[in-house]
Amino acid sequence: MSNSPGSCAKSEMSFTVNGERKTLVAFPMERLLDVLRQQLGLTGAKEGCGEGECGSCSVLMDGVLVNSCLVPVLQAQGTSIVTIEGLAAGRQLHALQEAFLECGGAQCGICTPGMILAACHLLSKKPEPTLEEIQEGLSGNLCRCTGYLQIFEAVARAAHYGMAQSSS
Amino acid sequence: MNHERIVGTSVPRKEGREKVTGRARYVDDMILPDMLYGATVRSQIPRGRIGKITFDSSIAWNEFVIVSAKDIPGKNCIALIGDDQPCLTSEFVNHPEEPILLLAHPDRHMLRKAVEAVSIEYEPLPAVFTIEESERGSQVIWGADNTFKTYRIEKGDVDAVWATADYIVAGEYSTGAQEQLYIENNGMIAAFDAEQGITVWGSLQCPYYVHKALMTLCSLPAERVRVVQMETGGAFGGKEDYPSIIAGHAALLAIKSGRPVKIVYDRAEDMAATTKRHPSRTRHRTAVSKDGKILGGEIEFTIDGGAYATLSSVVLSRGAIHAGGPYYWPNVRIRAKAVATNMPPHGAFRGFGAPQSVFAMERHMDRIAQVVGLSPIELRRRNFLEPGETTTTEQTVREPIDLGKLLDRAVSLSDYHSKKERFWIENQSGTTRKGMGIAAFLHGAGFTGSGERYLSSVVGVEGCADGGVCVLVSSTEFGQGTKTVLCQIAAEALGLRYEDVTIAQPDTTQVPNSGPTVASRTVMVVGKLVESAARGIRQTLTSAGTLGESYSADEFRAACRSHIAAHGQLRSWAQYEPPPDIFWDDQNYRGEAYAAYSWAVYVAEVAIDLTTYSVSVNDFVALQEVGKVLHPVLAIGQIAGGVAQGIGFALFERVIWQKGRMQNSQMTNYIMPTSSDLPPIRVFFEELGNVHGAFGAKGIGELPMDGPAPAILNAVEDALGVRFDSIPLLPEDILEAITARSLESESDVVGEVR
Amino acid sequence: MRSDPRDYELVAPGSLQAVLALLARNPGEWLAIAGGTDVMVQYAAGKLPARKLISIWNLAELRNIEVRANEIRIGAASTYTDIREHEVIAREFSMLARAAHWTGGIANQNRGTIGGNIVNASPAADSLPALLAYDAELILVSVRGERRLPYAGFHTDYKKTRLAPDELIQAVCLSRRYSGYVCHARKVGSRNAQAIAKVCIAALGRVASGTVEDVRIALGSVAPVPLRLSETERVVTGKVIDESLVSLARKAAVAEIRPIDDIRSTAKYRAAVAGNLVAEFLNLLKDEKDVSNVLRRWNGVPIDDAAAQILPCCGSRAWAREMATRRPFKDEATLLAVSDEMWRNLIASDWMEAFGSHPRIGASSAHGSSAQQSAAWAMQEQKEVADAGDAVKIALAEGNREYEQKFGHIFIVRATGKSAEEILQILRRRLKNDARAELFEAAEQQRQITQIRLRKWLQG
Repeated sequence: MSNSPGSCAKSEMSFTVNGERKTLVAFPMERLLDVLRQQLGLTGAKEGCGEGECGSCSVLMDGVLVNSCLVPVLQAQGTSIVTIEGLAAGRQLHALQEAFLECGGAQCGICTPGMILAACHLLSKKPEPTLEEIQEGLSGNLCRCTGYLQIFEAVARAAHYGMAQSSS
Repeated sequence: MNHERIVGTSVPRKEGREKVTGRARYVDDMILPDMLYGATVRSQIPRGRIGKITFDSSIAWNEFVIVSAKDIPGKNCIALIGDDQPCLTSEFVNHPEEPILLLAHPDRHMLRKAVEAVSIEYEPLPAVFTIEESERGSQVIWGADNTFKTYRIEKGDVDAVWATADYIVAGEYSTGAQEQLYIENNGMIAAFDAEQGITVWGSLQCPYYVHKALMTLCSLPAERVRVVQMETGGAFGGKEDYPSIIAGHAALLAIKSGRPVKIVYDRAEDMAATTKRHPSRTRHRTAVSKDGKILGGEIEFTIDGGAYATLSSVVLSRGAIHAGGPYYWPNVRIRAKAVATNMPPHGAFRGFGAPQSVFAMERHMDRIAQVVGLSPIELRRRNFLEPGETTTTEQTVREPIDLGKLLDRAVSLSDYHSKKERFWIENQSGTTRKGMGIAAFLHGAGFTGSGERYLSSVVGVEGCADGGVCVLVSSTEFGQGTKTVLCQIAAEALGLRYEDVTIAQPDTTQVPNSGPTVASRTVMVVGKLVESAARGIRQTLTSAGTLGESYSADEFRAACRSHIAAHGQLRSWAQYEPPPDIFWDDQNYRGEAYAAYSWAVYVAEVAIDLTTYSVSVNDFVALQEVGKVLHPVLAIGQIAGGVAQGIGFALFERVIWQKGRMQNSQMTNYIMPTSSDLPPIRVFFEELGNVHGAFGAKGIGELPMDGPAPAILNAVEDALGVRFDSIPLLPEDILEAITARSLESESDVVGEVR
Repeated sequence: MRSDPRDYELVAPGSLQAVLALLARNPGEWLAIAGGTDVMVQYAAGKLPARKLISIWNLAELRNIEVRANEIRIGAASTYTDIREHEVIAREFSMLARAAHWTGGIANQNRGTIGGNIVNASPAADSLPALLAYDAELILVSVRGERRLPYAGFHTDYKKTRLAPDELIQAVCLSRRYSGYVCHARKVGSRNAQAIAKVCIAALGRVASGTVEDVRIALGSVAPVPLRLSETERVVTGKVIDESLVSLARKAAVAEIRPIDDIRSTAKYRAAVAGNLVAEFLNLLKDEKDVSNVLRRWNGVPIDDAAAQILPCCGSRAWAREMATRRPFKDEATLLAVSDEMWRNLIASDWMEAFGSHPRIGASSAHGSSAQQSAAWAMQEQKEVADAGDAVKIALAEGNREYEQKFGHIFIVRATGKSAEEILQILRRRLKNDARAELFEAAEQQRQITQIRLRKWLQG
């Protein structure tokens, strides 16, 4: 590819974030992660590696887990994004958040937003995951503190809450 | 308050809700008005003299703030133990990535281009990259002989035992560098005001370390330096001393520009430029009787400190003291040495020297077992320390610890014997080889010897206007549960509810110096002080007559409120006092090295796939005696997390060096275990209590780092019959050894057999 | 983040036509970006030379998977998740589905695309050996039109392909002819997830009477491009698999590859493991001959065909459909066990349908579908009855009529190995059962019949 310079104009974009429609102006190649954190003040998604390895920047884009550090904001145009800030319903925490609190799934907390969203995505596809399925579903989210043990427990517990809820 | 209601239960993490909702504030989440972003221009060579510096004209340099060593108001050093490490170097470079210049600009995106537009000419000097090269001394890169520090621990008369030995067993063991890999990179924000002085906010473990370093660097008195810890996304020792450097950099830019400055590293810079675990080499030579008793021995323990002294003397100390393991040595000589190389200085990482020397000791025990013809279990059993016996530093074991029983329990929990039987059969065929391995070890809690006395920690507990109490410590939370446990302790000591107690965010203008958050001291040492200070509050109220001998939580709150209304404040302090029976001789390195030890036996089950030569850990039992478990969920979390890092240390995490520079400074190339790489880690505790720690607790934060690597390598040898004495152990190494074995005959490094 | 977004242009024209027009206008100037899992990593590291990017993410023309009679066309912008979750790919091209599942973590699978994997052209790419083994073809598209070429040879050198500057990959085509093959795909990385391959194998083979009829072996990370081991394939084809052939194949494989030392691993390791993986595959091929060819083939056919093919064993369409859905079955024992389970879970009307597919005991034909095969088996099963004397046959016919009048369905009994007299006795006993008891007894007989028929069917 030629290295002739790109023309650097901002464009207007809109997408939905946590249920609210947002319209903003950004350079198309700004990372979704940076736009969420800096323009929208949603600092829950973190930069741990900038290369899509650690998953601490994970968000849901049209219901699907993605690493927001690898998404140019232009590609988020017209999509519906959910960040950790959108998970709780006011004071009422999401089952996963409760379960992480009960089981010790969060230690330093930096991987936690991405980890919870990854778990959320997993449970949406597999409401009663086996341990192996949990391991696989979270394999793109690195945690240095917990050794994953209590994170798996938290996900299993949240699944159990979900099953209990749906059967009641 | 006879039985415990809060301590010993898994109360909710104090700051847990913020963490699961994404509201916890880490340094990169904060923006100050008018803020600049900072970046560092670093050395590209390992050693040399700095020549011409050119600023390429493609950059509008007038928009930038540029800081060099000449801009340093105070002393150009990172004040820690010695003062050999410059904050910014100007004449000589001693390691790759050494900071030379600092740049700041309002637009974050301009910085990378600017850094790349600075060209520096160097006159390279020959550099030194390994312990052996450093020892050889053909290049003296530090001091008189490249040696930062030495220690010598002697007990009994080692020279006399060789003649009486039935076996002399020798071995050499080595460990590589390991990156802490906290998921949040290092970051700091600094602001300067001519009157207030310097304020920094950042990701850090030890606010007062940063405070001291800034005083020296910026030539400011204590009251004009303020350090505030923000939510910290993992540390593991990697944010013990390094934050002083990045804080110093941000401060210098803030002083020069008059504006707040944020410096946050990206992953590549953090991995390449900041501290790692000290690489080590340990040589054992042990005299053993025919029934497997250690008669005596020599241990030579050497660590690579990198280019500057920093914390190496302390890492060396702990490593040397732990080098003999949980065994009885009637005679021993331990010679420990920290040497200089032209690498970025190595630093604290969970375990702090002990994982290195314990790795050697536990591999060596399996070697001795083979030579003597005993099982790894039996050999250890015959040499375990017993209460009343003395350690290598002649500290008498006063705790009623029964290591033999602990070993038996670990063996039973891990199904060791029946698995070994089964594996013996299964290993005859197929492409998998399985094995079991054990490691037994101890870990001292708190600073070594006179360290705690030197720290002289102070803790405060203060009554709040709403009637609750607030804990004031400089001990930081970075996931291990500091806030939760210290609040539990205060609540229990005062008979309050957990919800009645809060803890102040560490801010050097608000909290006293309770010492650094390191050395597994927070629960044991600081917690004990919190307990005292809390009781002090109660004392004040009961003396004042506003509180009876027994009371409800609400009555306490009322008394507290009225006291504050009447007197303006309610505060109680506690300061560390060394226990009267702890004696440490710093000169001869002898005596009570630590107030308390936690003890452990870990068992690993591994499987090696002969198609790929890779090792997987299929089961792991971590059994430890820790005094008292103050919070079961947090305690399990600490052990599981530490074991995971230990598995990484053993099998995955290799730093690839080229001329002193880390080549694999990306998460895709520096391999830490994912959720698919770890076994279920089975954690078990025993509690013997302890007089020195809060509610009988001892330290557990670093303990789990010591055991996994030797247990795993012992298991690998059990599975393959091939000896590996160096970590990390990668599939490529196993392939080499297996192909080499088919070429050479196996030779035991036994030395003389009598 | 080491790049300045201001220095980059990214456009998203929104249709394939518009994208191609832009590529044609300024060939070589635009870099296509789909999910960005490679491009954005380079960008963040400050190592992306291209400054103008054109988004092909989620373009309908490129992100679809089309199942045709003889081939499957995977749109180049199909993500790894799309590929993993596609039923036909999971069943007929399992090595590609496996490669998709071991690429990165879930988040990267949701964004990474097969086209991106091909065009990025890393020899370590996870899905490329599978494409080589399946003899994939690519459809390339530009304003000049479409062209179709074999995927083999698409990579000309390290990170270089035959893609013209104004071209995109439109689709990857895989021919649906591998259902009878044994396949083996394995990735060896530095850890179990999120790892770049040190060595990777995708291999297919077909064995008849212990002799290798056809074999395709592809490896990743052992050469500047993903590699078909054609020499090794030649060594092995037409030969009986034994220890010495495996040893020869291992040597041939090691001689064919050109691995290097790099930041991830060593040439020596890669060579040793490559040899081991080839040996592992051949040993698998050797052992697989015990698995029925019928089963293997049936595992791979489209679902409607599978249901139709197995229906004669039982007669219940619901059962046949369930069995077809539960594929693939790894061996006969599993198939038989699942059949029983499925049979037991049917409702009464399905059982009745199965009963109805049989001719009356003693009669020569039946009503119901798939009659021909069913009838042939029925004839075999009722062989002894057919040879019985007239008096017994008349008694049986009368008994059948009585049974049907009482229970509303024909009398079902596992006739194999039973004489006419025995069957008559059983019939008379069962005539005394009440309706419910009889329904279960008949169902049990049908279950046994189905087991016998399944075994016969698998023997081919």
